Amino acid sequence: MTLRRITTYLVVGLGAGVMILPFYWMIITAVSPAPDIIAFPPKWIPSHVTLEHFQEASARAPWLVYYKNSLVVATASVGLSMLFGLFAGYAFAVYKFPLQNFSFLLILGTLMVPVQVTSVALYVFLAKFNWVDTYLGILAPNFASAFGVFLIRQAIKSIPMDLIDAARIDGAGEVRIVTVVVAPLIKATLAAVAMLLFLSSWNDFLWPVIVINSQGLRTLPVGIALFKDPYGNINYGPLMAGTVITVGPMLLAYAFSQRFMIRGIATTGFR
Amino acid sequence: MKWRPVVWFLLAALAVTAAHVSAQPRRTITLWYPAGDIAAGPVSPFTDPNLFAPFEATNNVKIEMVGVDYDTMVQKIFAAAAGRNIADILFIDTSWLPGFLKEDLLQQMDSAKARKWLADVVPDVVDLSDYGSGTMWGYPQMGYDIYGLTWNKAQFKEVGLDPERPPATWDELRDYGKKLAKRDAQGNLVRVGLAIRHVGNPQGTVHKFTWALWGAGADIIDNPNLLHGGKPAFNNAGGLAALKLYLDMLNVDKTTSLSFPDPRAALLQGIASMQISETVSIRARQPKEAPNMPWGTGWGMAPPPVRKTGDRPGVLLGGWLFAVPKSAKNPELAWKSMDWLNSEINDYRIARRFDLTPRYKANWAKDPFRSDSYDQALLKIARYGRRLPINLGLNGVLDSLGFAIQKALHGEATPEQALAEAERLAQKAIDEAAK
Amino acid sequence: MGRVAPSRMHRRHYVHAYLFIAPVIVLFGLFRVWPSLQTLYYSFFKVELLKGRLTFLGLQNFAGLVHDEIFRAATLHTLIYAAAIVPIAAALGMILAVLFNEEFPLKELFKAIYFAPMVTSTVAAAVVWWWLYNPQYGLFNVILKLMHLPGQPWLLSSRMALPSVIIFSIWKTLGYNLVIYLAGLQAIPHEYHEAATLDGAGSLQRFLRITLPLLAPTTTFVFIYNSIFAFQVFDQVYVLTGGGPARATNVVVLELYNQAFQRYQFGYASAEAMVLFLFILGVTMLQYVYSRRFEVAY
Repeated sequence: MTLRRITTYLVVGLGAGVMILPFYWMIITAVSPAPDIIAFPPKWIPSHVTLEHFQEASARAPWLVYYKNSLVVATASVGLSMLFGLFAGYAFAVYKFPLQNFSFLLILGTLMVPVQVTSVALYVFLAKFNWVDTYLGILAPNFASAFGVFLIRQAIKSIPMDLIDAARIDGAGEVRIVTVVVAPLIKATLAAVAMLLFLSSWNDFLWPVIVINSQGLRTLPVGIALFKDPYGNINYGPLMAGTVITVGPMLLAYAFSQRFMIRGIATTGFR
Repeated sequence: MKWRPVVWFLLAALAVTAAHVSAQPRRTITLWYPAGDIAAGPVSPFTDPNLFAPFEATNNVKIEMVGVDYDTMVQKIFAAAAGRNIADILFIDTSWLPGFLKEDLLQQMDSAKARKWLADVVPDVVDLSDYGSGTMWGYPQMGYDIYGLTWNKAQFKEVGLDPERPPATWDELRDYGKKLAKRDAQGNLVRVGLAIRHVGNPQGTVHKFTWALWGAGADIIDNPNLLHGGKPAFNNAGGLAALKLYLDMLNVDKTTSLSFPDPRAALLQGIASMQISETVSIRARQPKEAPNMPWGTGWGMAPPPVRKTGDRPGVLLGGWLFAVPKSAKNPELAWKSMDWLNSEINDYRIARRFDLTPRYKANWAKDPFRSDSYDQALLKIARYGRRLPINLGLNGVLDSLGFAIQKALHGEATPEQALAEAERLAQKAIDEAAK
Repeated sequence: MGRVAPSRMHRRHYVHAYLFIAPVIVLFGLFRVWPSLQTLYYSFFKVELLKGRLTFLGLQNFAGLVHDEIFRAATLHTLIYAAAIVPIAAALGMILAVLFNEEFPLKELFKAIYFAPMVTSTVAAAVVWWWLYNPQYGLFNVILKLMHLPGQPWLLSSRMALPSVIIFSIWKTLGYNLVIYLAGLQAIPHEYHEAATLDGAGSLQRFLRITLPLLAPTTTFVFIYNSIFAFQVFDQVYVLTGGGPARATNVVVLELYNQAFQRYQFGYASAEAMVLFLFILGVTMLQYVYSRRFEVAY
């Protein structure tokens, strides 16, 4: 029994070591002086910690601009998707109206057609009204979230109708009911949806790389992908500094709320 | 009755605006160039905000130079053209030209002007400018972007080779490679004789292969000045010999390796003794990446070796072009500013200031270009310069040839199979583009 | 205020209902549904964006796809990628979940470590792996060298590049599968195991006879879900290999990206997108059929 315990522990621990190794090496490379990076045998602990790679990385690319763009895009898409999703979710959960099922299936149907499939037509469409290479262009497919609508609808369905009816009898308007009565009741779902949408927007790559050409509009993933020299110059220090800058905030947020994030991602199957 | 004041106000506002606009007669035209030091060598003239100052003063115009990211520049140009929102002047890589011509994006240069230009510049620049019987799509840049053999002189000395005498034939190249390659105790290569490009963008693979292809008498497309139609010209004895040269060094001599992805970086890091690619980027990168390897004493450059003594080397003369798109808002002014920038006087002034090579014959006769060792070495290589074909199907042709080279080097196909397959795909690309 | 008459209330609520769903419907209609229909439409045309010209080709784009070796190879690579990553990541996830189903110190920390790649951007993580895979100085070859084993060319070899990308993707998805399987395991009532233990079944037998069959619905979900994403693989290939060397890692999405945005063959790329859609549709149908069957089974 104890032997089994130890084996389990060893296997799990060894696996965890492998899983964490890339993160560890990313950080070590980012803070090691240049000769350490290509030393053999490898220096698992830097001879001294240096920030020179971060300085060079920031001299070569406007990371703050990338941050700003990622934040603007993520905030706008999360904010709007949540707002629209809350009202649409409410409508689908509470009202009965003609074409209800049709419109609900229409929204869910879009989940079947990922942006990988529609990107070409969407690009052509947006080029017609000059949305290519703009914030609006990045946001276009992310103004609303089918997942968001679906999850919010499910959550609202579990609220007793009596609560809503009572609010109506008290003379509350529908908008007021949604914002003041319903929203606080489903705040756990709303928080999870917001987290998921933020994460997916923050890490999104394919669509931004298609629609953005200017350096000034790049989001962090696009910035780091194009920061990489395609033919392997050994400027790995600044490159790893760049990846630390890119993934740092998300990993920090994860460290502080990992249970919440794991549960959120696992229950909704987002990637 | 309340609308009357509003109308008056609007009219007044309109008048003020109109007056303001007419009081600001300076027009603005824009020029897009690739940001970073990819384009014109060590220093790009576009880093100087006053580059166009004299022209701007006499013509009452402002030329706004916008640095565009190289990786996505083609995409940006296409998107901007589709949105009718393109710059008046584009500084473009000539290898993009076929794609742009296919979409009918560029204006052809006035033929009288083209004739005068072709008569005044040195032959290599003529080669770079003339796209068939005097047709020009823009002015090629100042400064040669030429491929050549570069080598590490210290390593030549170390193995007993004359550091001033690079290999002149393929046999010599292989021989030198055997002497220069270095192995560790386990027999792994730690330094290659000649570094080769075998991964990454297939077109880059072809660029760095042209010396062997041309040196063996083969070509990419049979007629390089043909826009529509034509035949691939690499699946023949010459093309096969070129590919086999690479394979022999890789598998027989074991003097090169597939683990050194960037030949230029490998040379600068000292893990390759020779490489054949853009000379200008060695010069640009050396001071920072290999400070102990200065031009002249640290590294040298020469035309690449030929198949046998007496053959004529062929080197890729790359280039950037000042072009004017069809949908430019101010085409006349755009051309006028380009005529000014590429005049004989400015050719001298700018080349001298930014350490580039001039284009006019008259300027080569003047100092410093007449006597500078680097410039003269460039000129010697440029004599063998050739540019990529202009064919509308070029992108597809280069892609298929590049992948064929990669496939053969990685042992995915025999050289014969790889070239035959590439020829088929290339022919398809040419035919489809010609439709 | 008294109760409003039902008919009036309904009409008022129609207005509300439509107003509330209008933004989502309009935005989805414009930016999701319309491009989807356009994709289908364009797949029958030659689309020249700059000239604003559409030329009807009928089924020529699709006929071209059938004969296009590059696209066929890209499809094959995508299928190989999916066929490798889906079962391997599922098996590893299941094994880990069984181990995680017991109590041991620092369990939550370990779980968080396994899950961490999930929250990192694929692109940034791939950039890190690209460095690890470097043949001269990358950590993987350095470790091999420490163990006196020959270094590998990894991404630079046309044979090893696709497996290298697959290894990365397994690292990236493993945590998700682990968490899903863990949830599946925790849903299995304890009595089953106890009964089997009383019957004298060993732990391997218990795993094979009880855990594995009872996890079947979870496995189906993991397989289908992972396949859908495997068909859409792009980010890691773009960063790690760009589809090379010698197109050895070219996948469908990368191919359609290149056709559309490097070569401006929008119609042809749309046809490729339709093929991708059919793959995804196929897997989703499978999911539908299977989930029905399991509903019946329980």
